[in-house]
Amino acid sequence: MISKNLAIQVLNAGLATGADFVEIYLEENPVLVIQVENGHVKEIDSSLGYGAGIRLLKDLQSVYGSTSDVSRKGLLKLASQLAASFNGTPIKKVEKISKKRSHNYYPEEKPLTDIPNQDKIKLMKECSNLMSEYDPSIKISRVFFSESSQKVVIFNSDGYLFEDYRPRLRMFFAPIAVGPNGMETSGEGPGATGGWEFFTDIHDAKNTALKAAEQAVRTLNAKECPSGKMPVVIGNGFGGVIFHEACGHSLEATSVAKGLSVFSKKKGQQIASSLVTAIDDGTIDKAWGSINIDDEGHPSQKNVLIKNGILNSYMVDRLNGRRMGEPSTGSGRRQDYSFEPTSRMTNTYIDNGKSTPEEIISSVKLGLYAKSLGGGSVNPATGEFNFACSEAYIIRDGKVAEPVKGATLIGSGEDILKNIVMVGNDLKRAQGMCGSLSGSIPVDVGQPTILVSEITVGGRGGQLQ
Amino acid sequence: MNKKYLPFFEQAKKLGITASELNFQKSRTTSIDIFHGQVAAFSISDNQDLVARGVLNNHFGAAHTEKIDKANIINLADQIAVNAVLNENDDPAIIFKGSKKYRKKNVFNPEIDQITVDDKIKLLLDIEKRLKVADKQISEVSTVSYEETYTESALMNSYGLDLSNKSNYFYIYASVVAKNGNDVKTGYKIFLNNSFKDFNIEQFVVDVVQDATQKLGGKPIPTGKYKTVINPKVTASLLGFYMKSAVAENVQKHTSLFEGKLGQQIASSKVTINEEPLKNNIFYNYFDAEGVATSNKSFIEKGVLKTYAYNLSTAAKDNVETTGNAGGGGSKIGTTYTNLGLKPGRLSEQDLFKKMQNGFYLTEVQGLHSGLNPTSGNFSLQASGFVVRDGVLAEPVSLITVAGNLLDVFKDVVAVGNNLELQTSSTSAPSIFIKKLAIAG
Repeated sequence: MISKNLAIQVLNAGLATGADFVEIYLEENPVLVIQVENGHVKEIDSSLGYGAGIRLLKDLQSVYGSTSDVSRKGLLKLASQLAASFNGTPIKKVEKISKKRSHNYYPEEKPLTDIPNQDKIKLMKECSNLMSEYDPSIKISRVFFSESSQKVVIFNSDGYLFEDYRPRLRMFFAPIAVGPNGMETSGEGPGATGGWEFFTDIHDAKNTALKAAEQAVRTLNAKECPSGKMPVVIGNGFGGVIFHEACGHSLEATSVAKGLSVFSKKKGQQIASSLVTAIDDGTIDKAWGSINIDDEGHPSQKNVLIKNGILNSYMVDRLNGRRMGEPSTGSGRRQDYSFEPTSRMTNTYIDNGKSTPEEIISSVKLGLYAKSLGGGSVNPATGEFNFACSEAYIIRDGKVAEPVKGATLIGSGEDILKNIVMVGNDLKRAQGMCGSLSGSIPVDVGQPTILVSEITVGGRGGQLQ
Repeated sequence: MNKKYLPFFEQAKKLGITASELNFQKSRTTSIDIFHGQVAAFSISDNQDLVARGVLNNHFGAAHTEKIDKANIINLADQIAVNAVLNENDDPAIIFKGSKKYRKKNVFNPEIDQITVDDKIKLLLDIEKRLKVADKQISEVSTVSYEETYTESALMNSYGLDLSNKSNYFYIYASVVAKNGNDVKTGYKIFLNNSFKDFNIEQFVVDVVQDATQKLGGKPIPTGKYKTVINPKVTASLLGFYMKSAVAENVQKHTSLFEGKLGQQIASSKVTINEEPLKNNIFYNYFDAEGVATSNKSFIEKGVLKTYAYNLSTAAKDNVETTGNAGGGGSKIGTTYTNLGLKPGRLSEQDLFKKMQNGFYLTEVQGLHSGLNPTSGNFSLQASGFVVRDGVLAEPVSLITVAGNLLDVFKDVVAVGNNLELQTSSTSAPSIFIKKLAIAG
């Protein structure tokens, strides 16, 4: 998007007052969003994100600026404004730039930009109609589609140029079911990095749409969830949001480096049940959270965070790596050029164990089966979390019994990791958007079915009997 | 109008687009973070976005770009045409010709730019230093930060409407960690304004520290129904979700709790909910996203629902005038509130405790985005707060859940406090005292 020659000038303008590292992040991101409701296109919007971010580091200090003016004048002005934050003399100079190549984990077989929008709309309408026809209580069947073709170019004062092209697509099914006692929603959002082949050859969108419809109708007829402390079986796939929220965020260098995380300075220590191995892997083929390079140019990698219960690695970006004296783990990410990168997750999951899901369910006499979870949040300093169940059942005498709604799981990440007593062999990943310091980014969460010996469950259905 | 936008309107006309509109947004932000006596992060941003809409064969087409050069300005019109053809939304597609009167005032405060970055840093360092020594239980000052934002917007259309506005504000945010043995709690405070005159550093430090230390030793309380006072922050969050039901679009789609309730008593007579976009310097807005003049008004007066919130399209469906609540942009304009607030009463928060005598004081809820269903109004949220005994605050409470329904919360209001607080969401509320809330410990 800019010449190597201009990049060298901008980098040197950034280095002029003693910064020890300068980075230019350039981005061009065409986005298409379509919404279909009850079989009709309700919204279609195209946009072009465009701009640059410049970062200067000096020891542990960082200054960051972004602009949508990517002209020579705009970039040089921004670099000088940022350099004015320091008052030293240059300690290095960039003479030449060489390109670093990276592996491509998401080649597009059917490039998104080659597929007519009519084809995308056709599939969306089929899914919308399937949901509407599933049950008369489904009054609104919404399908959202988004695709982006983000082109990223990074130059840094180590003299390197990095490039990544990230085609992404996702469909989100959001039916609303209405009954005599109110209404319920549900959501399923399959997505990938890659081309249109995801919805023609890899993922059965129609089947997922039907699952969302089933779920909304089931919740409509479910009783309120009882409250209290009980054993909880958490289902595979999006159930992994529990690890993402309650533990993943606390393993990001963003909170670890400042000593604000419950897991700070605990490397090598047992922080989880020995059944737990947890991984953050940005290199999974065509996964929604995968990246060829992170937003600092570092190649993405597979990081084993917890191995058999022992804390093995944090997720580290360049700046927090300096604070911690650790190398980057390829975890520096950002929503777009207007955000300074920081350590974030990619595809994060609890790895397979040995139990079958049936063995896990049958081991519980009276408890909750949280088959699927909604969103949640966590306070990284205390590790306290909460999240809502989007699909849940009571387990009675080792069997899945009646569905319940309105269940919330609350507790602390530290406790829950230690209380995992069974881990299944049915690992599955699911897609989500994760919001944090450096904006909203695509991530996968995942896990096999697990059993936690005790979690506080909130609900409006009285005592569990 | 800036001449560089003319090629857009020319191209739109050429393509048979019957009415078109451009909405230009520009923002400049400076933010500073302090950690351990040093500037840990300093950032500036200067971003712009040009949003275009147009009507072709009675359907909207929309597109936007951050790359604002001649080629992309013209391309916006092309994109509108391409998208409008695929759009099957039969809602009325209206570009607005203009209101009779606009109440524009200058709310831009030059003071924010006049204070140097160095002085702003000095202020943050001072706050950090004071927080460190304010209480023995403060183990870490996790964040002291400052952010200022300048925004500029302009709305131009093919009918000749040409509106513009510029405003600025800043906030100061601090958060701390308090420790007592193994018990760890966090606390924070945000000061949001567009003038430094109202900032009181002593009070700010006390509030941040108290927010954390008061929670130390928090334990669950027995499951049951409790009389409850809800603090301004939580009340404002609940109010935001409650008022989604007053959005006409939700009523028309049958996803509102207020459907068919116009003119009826839906809340306690103590509850009056106003929207005042013209009141303050911060969150001031004299035209909405469709160019309609905004006004101060009541949505709920003494518990009675007076009107729904409309934009041009939803108003046309109900055959009423728009209320000037259009928000968002692109092909689908939504509905939003600016400076929505629960009207304060006469009692102080302490008076509310006295009135309640024994019950619960709710100060924090988590997981609103997942634990509250705005269409059914049901919520089940992780929460913390304090026991109120004999009319005064007693021990802290944590790791509980509160559950209920939004309609019931506002029906159950016994009294409204006078301690109005403005939140960063632009919603303001005082504390409220409600008859009952289900708590699971």
